[in-house]
Amino acid sequence: MTHDFDVIVVGSGPAGVSVAFPLVEAGLRVLMVDGGKQPGVLPPEADFLSARANDTEQWKWMVGEDFHALKKRDAVSPKLRVPSHAYVFEEFEARNQVVGKYFITVGSLATGGLSNAWGCGVARFSASEMADFPFPASELDVSYAKVSQRMGISGRVDDDMSDYFGLDEYSQPPIPMDALHTHLSEYYLNHRKKLNSQGFRLGRSRVAVLSEDIAGRQACNLSGNCLWGCLRHSMYSSTDDLPELRKYENFSELSGFVVDGLTRYDSYWAVDGQTIPADERRSITASRVVLAAGTLATTRLALKTLNHRHPVPLLSCPTAAFLLWLPRLLGTPRMPGLGLGQLSFSVNLQDTTTAFGSTFATTGIPLSEFVRHVPLRRRYGIDLLRGLLSSCVVGNVFLPGYLTAAEAELQSDASLSVTGKYCDAVEPLMDEASKKLRKAYWSLGAMLLPGSFTVGRPGGDIHYAGTLPMRESPSCGETSQCGEVEGLGGIFVVDGACLPTLPEKSHTLTIMANADRIGRQLAAVLAMESLHS
Amino acid sequence: MRVVITGASGYIGTRLTSLALKRGHDVVMASRQRPTVFSAPWVFFDLSSTDSVVLPAGTGAVIHLAASTTNSNRLEDGSEVVAAQRLIKSAQEAGAKFIFVSSQTARADAPTAYGRTKWRIEHGVLSAGGWVVRPGQVYGGELRGLFGMLAKTVRRMPTLPAFVPAPKVQPIHVDDLAEGLLRIAERGDVPPVVYCLAAPEQVSFSKFLAVIAKSRLRCWRGFVPVPVVFFNALAFALGETLWNRLGLGRLRSLFDLPVMETASDLRQLGLTLRPLRSGMHPSGNDRRRCLLREGRALLAYILKEPPGNAVLRRYIRAVEQLRGGQALGLPSAFLNFPILMSLLDKSAWADKATGMEFSWRLDAATVLAEATPSGAYRFLGLGREWGWLSSLLSVGNAIVCEVFWRVLRTPLLPLTRFALDRARGAV
Repeated sequence: MTHDFDVIVVGSGPAGVSVAFPLVEAGLRVLMVDGGKQPGVLPPEADFLSARANDTEQWKWMVGEDFHALKKRDAVSPKLRVPSHAYVFEEFEARNQVVGKYFITVGSLATGGLSNAWGCGVARFSASEMADFPFPASELDVSYAKVSQRMGISGRVDDDMSDYFGLDEYSQPPIPMDALHTHLSEYYLNHRKKLNSQGFRLGRSRVAVLSEDIAGRQACNLSGNCLWGCLRHSMYSSTDDLPELRKYENFSELSGFVVDGLTRYDSYWAVDGQTIPADERRSITASRVVLAAGTLATTRLALKTLNHRHPVPLLSCPTAAFLLWLPRLLGTPRMPGLGLGQLSFSVNLQDTTTAFGSTFATTGIPLSEFVRHVPLRRRYGIDLLRGLLSSCVVGNVFLPGYLTAAEAELQSDASLSVTGKYCDAVEPLMDEASKKLRKAYWSLGAMLLPGSFTVGRPGGDIHYAGTLPMRESPSCGETSQCGEVEGLGGIFVVDGACLPTLPEKSHTLTIMANADRIGRQLAAVLAMESLHS
Repeated sequence: MRVVITGASGYIGTRLTSLALKRGHDVVMASRQRPTVFSAPWVFFDLSSTDSVVLPAGTGAVIHLAASTTNSNRLEDGSEVVAAQRLIKSAQEAGAKFIFVSSQTARADAPTAYGRTKWRIEHGVLSAGGWVVRPGQVYGGELRGLFGMLAKTVRRMPTLPAFVPAPKVQPIHVDDLAEGLLRIAERGDVPPVVYCLAAPEQVSFSKFLAVIAKSRLRCWRGFVPVPVVFFNALAFALGETLWNRLGLGRLRSLFDLPVMETASDLRQLGLTLRPLRSGMHPSGNDRRRCLLREGRALLAYILKEPPGNAVLRRYIRAVEQLRGGQALGLPSAFLNFPILMSLLDKSAWADKATGMEFSWRLDAATVLAEATPSGAYRFLGLGREWGWLSSLLSVGNAIVCEVFWRVLRTPLLPLTRFALDRARGAV
């Protein structure tokens, strides 16, 4: 038996690095491969407002020398228009042969994957949310702790969202809020009882952003560049974990290698793929292969290797966005501040469903993003927002992933077709959410601006999961409780694809914790094997 | 197709040769000297020679441009006609189309020998089943030919004569003419008759010179009225020989230009001529200039102040790289008074595709305008104190203005649509 590595990890995103740590720590020879896309355009060096006021070359990071922001005019999220993030998303669909039909498909070929451009939202799944997981919730506790501490989470405070997030024991203190969010949270404390009885809870957002320095990364200095890229590395990206992994001699990397097939040999697997940009075929072998390429790419690889031609269900959270105006703070000067979620809420809908969301400052987001949706002539739309927007916060809402009826299916040309729409229940739920939020925020002195509550397009959340769910007794197209694909012994799935459920809350941390759990189990199995041989 | 072009190194010939080569034709240049501009094959051809012309094998069309236009070596009227006859014969023998470029002045009783010679050659061409093209006042491209002479005169003279009564010309851009000639050569459905190629509308000669000054030379020239009678008297006094030697011979035919009915011929060839102003621009069209005006207006509408050059250049580059680079063709009033964009912003477009393109460009201008320091002041209100009162005023002002333009929009809609249609029609 000769193979190149003990384990090959496909993907260097949050799942990839999380599964790699326990494997390399156990002394196994691990190879991590990824698409290798690297940043091209640099984010601003100064804080956002100074850069805006003084940088005559600001168009290079706001629009891009190739007019990236204009080319992506119709993309779902402002993030997809940011030139410094262009490398994160580029070529993913073409190289991985993923085709969305009435469904937005986003993925990454970058080193660090989508964590280069994420919203940093973190949360722990509750025991009830993990009811469908084929192992006790407590089995993730150690992993939650380890992963949270490694990535650095802030927002520790005893508030009404403490239990919902369940992360305070591993967190740093919160990052200071701006005047608008301070106002909202003060008013919340005065109306807490009433709002709680309506099923509305508000608290600090727990985010993977540092409020205190840790190993090579600096605490947030409120530069307001969150959307554009943080040169201080305050926001977690899995690339921040790579230097630590590289310290291990048994850890190797192959960047710029897009995997397109897996071949089984007697006792090992070959990972086949194409190098980019050279476009050469390569094949590397290992005893085990761990798929962490992101839900869509991983799903295609698994289904292709299984030759599974039936559609598999895909979970994705229905989303909406809205704008809140705080009239009492009209004329608040523009201030630098955190551009990510500052306050988060949960609201109960129809007694069975919970919606989750966060509110953000508007300062770091281009005003062009808002003015397009204002029903005024452009010139006066700008006048209106210039006066209004500094006293507004923008919010998002997520519903649980089962409310999107989506499917992924391997096509005869080996591409993965993803189709989907929201379930019928989404419309009344969103309706109810907008009404409840309007009412709740009204008592906090904020007005949900009429016409601003907009439901997003299916897939626009970029929270994809559940295509190859872990089951107690998996059938074809599912995975075992340790993520091993049924029918493909030795192939493990550790990213969003193996989550059996997708609640409304941020799922990245749980993907990472689960990857860590699977990594530990795999390390133990391989250690046993080497003992026996 | 193998195309033999005589006079390939001349004013029209160079543009025609370059266009024919670009279209993939196998061009053979026929002239006295081997032209150095193109590397295409060459055969000797001299208007004054009596040797017969040997056309290369497989010649599909002969376009006869060569003519004696200068006074110093004005050929005996006869030899130019003879040369043409020889060429027609060779073309007939080779089974090639013969296309002759004549003149608007061609007439049996033309005041110049030039016009009379053209008339005689036309006769021979038509009776041999060839095609005749009478171009109007050719302009544009290099400063050569009659156009070059006029442009140089305009450049030299601080004031120009405005003849009374004003002679009228029918301009055609040299590239449009080349396109027309090539279409006759290429197409099989064009009957062999006389084609008059020029703008259907006449332009006064003074206006033509003024456009040369403004659009081509970027200068301003004053005009002094000069009665044509005085001019004719002078010509009579000097005698034809001296007159011609002074280079004024061709000017006289100007006063005697017949009006050409060109619309049907242009339609027959499917030829759309560029407007004079656009063609007179040194680049042959004023695409960039139109785009610049459009960008300046849109950016000024958004920024409420004239945009900087850098952001304007970015707008032009963006439209060139992503949207094909043509201006929308907005009416001048909208370009000169950007606030009028309020009438176009959000609706007013009868044509949906143009409306969508307008909103793309407005969005692009917004994004580009925002990404500048002055955009940060305009969009974020940086650099000044904002209290709740000033914010409220800003919001109130926005709403009042919006209502104002909304109210104005409906009664002005027919006028807006009319202006849009007219401006687009001109493009």
